[in-house]
Amino acid sequence: MTLQKDPEETETRYLNKTTNFSNQRVLEIGSGEGRLTWRYAHGAGGVIGIDLVGDALKVAAADCPATIHETVSFVQASSLHLPFPHETFDIAVLAWSF
Amino acid sequence: MVHALEEVRRTLVPEGVLIDLRPMAGRWPVEVTSDRSRHPIGWLQDLPNELADSKAANIAIKEAARRGWFVRESKQSFRFSYYWDTPEEMREFIREEWSGFTELEENAFSTTQNAWADAGTDRRVRVQLRMHLARWRKR
Repeated sequence: MTLQKDPEETETRYLNKTTNFSNQRVLEIGSGEGRLTWRYAHGAGGVIGIDLVGDALKVAAADCPATIHETVSFVQASSLHLPFPHETFDIAVLAWSF
Repeated sequence: MVHALEEVRRTLVPEGVLIDLRPMAGRWPVEVTSDRSRHPIGWLQDLPNELADSKAANIAIKEAARRGWFVRESKQSFRFSYYWDTPEEMREFIREEWSGFTELEENAFSTTQNAWADAGTDRRVRVQLRMHLARWRKR
């Protein structure tokens, strides 16, 4: 199947216009297979993507571009019980998940 | 959902930013497009459970604002496009990925096939979602 999602990169433009991710610690909720993550993670100080679906996170880990491999990690977790200490992140992104 | 927002707030630093990015529920236009033309065909219609989820999300974020957890700094909308090479690929994707959330209106598929058959060689099928993007600041 030849599906293209947002080839115009409108989402990327709006997201990066709305928020400066440079050197920021980011929590992405509902990161899935990482499609959105790849669009802002370059330059971020660190990104943790969480999702309930473990298979999607495996795909994300496998597809993670080498240039951001050190920056991005994925954790299977629920937004109802975030496994992180208080005041860990500068930015939280509800990624098509709320 | 309100509890999830409370958890998110807990993990954000003071003055941290919350980005709410999601499709708006409703009807999404289906079109056959090419470099030279655009033919509106019909609509994808969100099902009641998807509409209810969207409404619940709106209520939750409003409640979080009412409790003073976040203050909204900006709100925008934009279009997010899905493209397929053929109507059949679109139908397969909808069945596999969006089943239970949205459905093609009656006759929309056959209408899409007809318009696609009449379009140029660079024809594609497009569905456009309306996206909601809001930026909130932790208080």
